[in-house]
Amino acid sequence: MIRTRISRSTTCQACIVLLACVAVAFAQTPNSTGVIRLRVRVSTGNGSKAQGLSRKRFFLIRGSLSDNAALLQSFAERPIVSRDCYYRSIGASEALLAWLKDGDCESIYCRSVDQLEVDKVPEFKLAMATGEKVYGSRELARQWLSTNLPENINSGFYKHQQAVLTELLAQAERQSQARVSSVMTDSNGTAYFTDIEPGLYVISNVMPAEVADSSELWLCEVKVSLGDLATATRERPYLISDPNNRDPRDKKNIKCVSLERPLPACRRQ
Amino acid sequence: MVNSEKSQPQTEAWRTTLRLRSQRLLATAGVILVCAGISVIGQKRKPARATSKIDYTQFQHTTKQHQEACHICHKAPSANWKQASGFPDIADFPDHDACVRCHRSQFFKGVQPAICSNCHSRVSPRGEARFAFRNEARPEQFKIDFPHDKHQDVIAAIRADQNTALRFAHALQRKDYNNCTICHSPNRQAPKALASGWVDGFVPSFDSFKTTPASHAACFNCHWKGQEPTANNCAGCHKPAENYFPDHVPHRISMKFRHEGGGEKGIHAAECTTCHINITKSASLKGLKPDVPITGCTECHNKSGLREDLGNELAQIDKNKGFVCSYCHTSETGKRDPPPQHYMVADRPPLTRKEIK
Repeated sequence: MIRTRISRSTTCQACIVLLACVAVAFAQTPNSTGVIRLRVRVSTGNGSKAQGLSRKRFFLIRGSLSDNAALLQSFAERPIVSRDCYYRSIGASEALLAWLKDGDCESIYCRSVDQLEVDKVPEFKLAMATGEKVYGSRELARQWLSTNLPENINSGFYKHQQAVLTELLAQAERQSQARVSSVMTDSNGTAYFTDIEPGLYVISNVMPAEVADSSELWLCEVKVSLGDLATATRERPYLISDPNNRDPRDKKNIKCVSLERPLPACRRQ
Repeated sequence: MVNSEKSQPQTEAWRTTLRLRSQRLLATAGVILVCAGISVIGQKRKPARATSKIDYTQFQHTTKQHQEACHICHKAPSANWKQASGFPDIADFPDHDACVRCHRSQFFKGVQPAICSNCHSRVSPRGEARFAFRNEARPEQFKIDFPHDKHQDVIAAIRADQNTALRFAHALQRKDYNNCTICHSPNRQAPKALASGWVDGFVPSFDSFKTTPASHAACFNCHWKGQEPTANNCAGCHKPAENYFPDHVPHRISMKFRHEGGGEKGIHAAECTTCHINITKSASLKGLKPDVPITGCTECHNKSGLREDLGNELAQIDKNKGFVCSYCHTSETGKRDPPPQHYMVADRPPLTRKEIK
């Protein structure tokens, strides 16, 4: 009887201790992680003015630059397939290339196509004609233009980029033995990595970004300390830029500069 | 020999006994077999008895026999798409064939077969009237899965470019660019209230909220064919779920925020990801909250010398611990302790109301 009581009270105490530990763990959660407020700005024109690099995905890889040296070297050495080169390789018309470039679009999902553009771009014209037959409406055929375009025009470039990216990220996760998280920059070039365990990380866009006539690859080491969004917004953002940025506003604040390479010349297949 | 003569009648008796025993054994075995047979037949009949209790008025996708490929029943597009949607759509219930091929007996049972009431609003041999597709009075059986991250990658990749930077500085305001508003446009209808009514009687303006896609219109313009998941691959987006009625009532911590607000200039209509900082990494709708940290607000609403809306509210609590924050919140949120981040953004150590004298 006594033994049963003792064992019960011991169990209760153990439970209380366990609950307390869980409570402490939960209470500590908000303070046990850090935040990176990333800002990406690139130069325009002669480099005296910079602006945010918007809607570009960045990845956070666990470990320092030296920990990930081989991996990062593979990012840097991988041949670049530019938007123009990809679309030329599938035989896209000059008019389609111009349409993509005009809107700084990587795919036709970037924006809608107006009637004037349909008439200018042969691929659009063909898709429009098919659409009119199938849907019986010119307006619907225009709005649903992508449904009658070949797959390689619709999503070929995106799928090509994704295939490479998936492979590189899998490699990064294997090597760092940690999940690689990602965020996309907003129109000001700002993005937040939240709930990160403190430590050293590499911020990279993994696949070089096309900016004007160059490609920019960022491989930046960042130390994450305990903190939250409130703290992060009070401090200066972690600013990364391209080598040409001579904007006086950024001058003293740039923490990391991209590896810049010219975009490759490409041939029509 | 004597022994053998004496033993003859005994052997005869023994044989008789054996015969009787074997007959009994056979009879017993027979009885067992018959019983077992009856039992087996009985078991086979059980489902037949159970089927008679099936409620054929309640169609369920979870029924094993209903889990074939979706296109076996749902035709894309349905015959009525031009009238119903104006674009190729699955806008009607499956044809009779979809039901009759398995449910012939239920289909012709009585004058008003129960099974017909799944689709038909009036059950009659000549009645063709059907419920709207989908029927709002019935619980939903699927949830939608949508990867925001993939879609963010392909829509409007507007980037700084030597030639286009200035031209596209305001590209997000250009209507023809596909950004979040392609699915989440400004709301134009009065929001529905909770069953208990609006908290504090505060009725949010219709433009407080953005819309969410309510039909295939937002999907099929790209995913009708070619781009997976296509119209024939329903399971690409529709994931089976327990029966439920969707909650169309807006839930928001800062009920007084208006998406289309922000003064005369409508400054709140900034790029969505500026405030919804986690949306671009979201691969699924599961567990997704449109979370906006307080820092999304205080970039403007707690600027020294400009606006100090947060600081002013916190100062009110200092004076009166029962103060209900009302600049952003209705009272169910406003009477709580401000979260520590509110204080930290205002450069103050976190406090609870109990700690205030």
